[in-house]
Amino acid sequence: MSAAFKFPPSFHRSTIAILVAAALMMLAPLVTGDFGLHVLTISLYYVILAASWNLLAGYMGQFSLAHHAFAAVGAYTSGLLGYYLGASAWIGIPAGVAMAALFGLVLGRLVLRMRSIYLAIATWAFAETVHIYLTADYQFTRGELGLMVKPLYGNVDPLPYYFTFLALTVVVLIGLRALIDSPLGYFMRAIKDDELRAKSLGIDTTKVKITIFSISSAIAGLAGAFYGHFIVLLSPQMVDFSEMAKIVIMVVIGGFGSFLGPIIGAAPVQIVMTYLQSYGEWNLAMFALIVMVLMRFSMEGLASLFTPLWRWIWKRHA
Amino acid sequence: MSAAPLLVVDDIHAAYQSGVDILQGMSLSVPVGGFVLVIGPNGAGKSTLLKTVFGLLEPHRGKIALGDQAIGGLAPHEIKRLGVSYVPQELNTFPHLTVEENLRVGGWTIRHDAKRLRARMARIYEIFPVLAERRRDKAGSLSGGQGRMLSVAREMITEPRLMLVDEPTVGLAPNLADQVYELLQTARRAIPTTILLVYQNVSDALRHAEDVVMMNLGTVKAAGPVGQFGEDRVRELIQECLLG
Repeated sequence: MSAAFKFPPSFHRSTIAILVAAALMMLAPLVTGDFGLHVLTISLYYVILAASWNLLAGYMGQFSLAHHAFAAVGAYTSGLLGYYLGASAWIGIPAGVAMAALFGLVLGRLVLRMRSIYLAIATWAFAETVHIYLTADYQFTRGELGLMVKPLYGNVDPLPYYFTFLALTVVVLIGLRALIDSPLGYFMRAIKDDELRAKSLGIDTTKVKITIFSISSAIAGLAGAFYGHFIVLLSPQMVDFSEMAKIVIMVVIGGFGSFLGPIIGAAPVQIVMTYLQSYGEWNLAMFALIVMVLMRFSMEGLASLFTPLWRWIWKRHA
Repeated sequence: MSAAPLLVVDDIHAAYQSGVDILQGMSLSVPVGGFVLVIGPNGAGKSTLLKTVFGLLEPHRGKIALGDQAIGGLAPHEIKRLGVSYVPQELNTFPHLTVEENLRVGGWTIRHDAKRLRARMARIYEIFPVLAERRRDKAGSLSGGQGRMLSVAREMITEPRLMLVDEPTVGLAPNLADQVYELLQTARRAIPTTILLVYQNVSDALRHAEDVVMMNLGTVKAAGPVGQFGEDRVRELIQECLLG
């Protein structure tokens, strides 16, 4: 937005940390088998969803409950293009991102003037509409029968998918960090601090909110589109409310409004949920309980455990 | 008030609740480059006057003009774009943003003009070296005086034609109050800008203003150059206001 602007040290530090973490994650195939890689790949999908939802809710204070729906918009756009027109993933994925951004833009214009609880209800209604549509129009979307999607690499060997999602996560996280530290980022954070105050400085808060909402929706669409080509069978289950609840749980357990939060919250939650799958919905209830306890005592989550270490590292290099 | 007026408020009526007018036919005129002080007892409508000029409250009668443009009924961000800044009574920095980010947020209206923004940031840091020192600190960690300095400095980024300042020393230690006036005078000289200041601690404020408007019950009780407002006269006027 402005050439006078230079990224603060927080951006460079985070970028270094993301790259170091990614380098360590590249060693995962040495210590875990195919199933482990599969779980980690899905965890990375949730890292992207959780981090992009945290941008909206944690950094801008806009509590949307439609994030999983935008992932589904991305996934189904690419899936349907492939199913009916034989389009390749490399056409389908950008189309999915564009479609999610467009839906975000339109929904954003409709709902972002609303305050907190109304925004949550309106976005939730949108997500339910997407859910019902995907189920009801089964002749087109294949509904609960499931939509077959072509795998990204022609096979289902988990290794290339793991590296693809790892690279995607790195790109998205660095992009998000850049956004947070950019001029648009501090206008967004100013809105969270006090929207009225931001308005009185002449800031067009609705424009900022819609822009961030579209970006966040596009990222969800990107994650969803790749996810579709990885799990190869889409169902309306993707827009089940439990998916949204999972994203919220990941962010809260990791640390609401902190950059690290969703990154370290997503994988443990996904891994534990995978192993507790046999308990069905109780799985979610148990996590809901953990979230309530955490919110009662601290909103800072797991990320706060790393804060002293983080400060210590950079103090030495200040 | 001889110079051409920058702001003219003409017979405005405004209310937070319909039927209960706080401003009841308020009028005043602020000359270009002037420093006008609005005084009056509690509940006279001083803060409401500033809020109404800045568009936070819509007058249901009367006219407000900035230069030759009518601004009554415009939204705050539109008024801001016309070169009006508002520093409210309460500390209005963004506590979770750094000092530098706070200043940059204040520059929304010139965000596409990188050169100008850069020059103004440099200027602000030159005028307020403390802010330069603490540029990477969160605004929430500043002291009360520094926070006030940041609020005023942030409004200076856009180099407004008119600054509306509401009780800038509320909650500050007395020795800091003088510094705040210095701050406003600095802003006035540096930009240069015009100041409409609302203040309760009359004897303090009178030393700095050029013109005075005394308000009571939402309208003008007395107005004129500061020379006409000696301590005795002010005391008399306030007694009249309070005792009727």
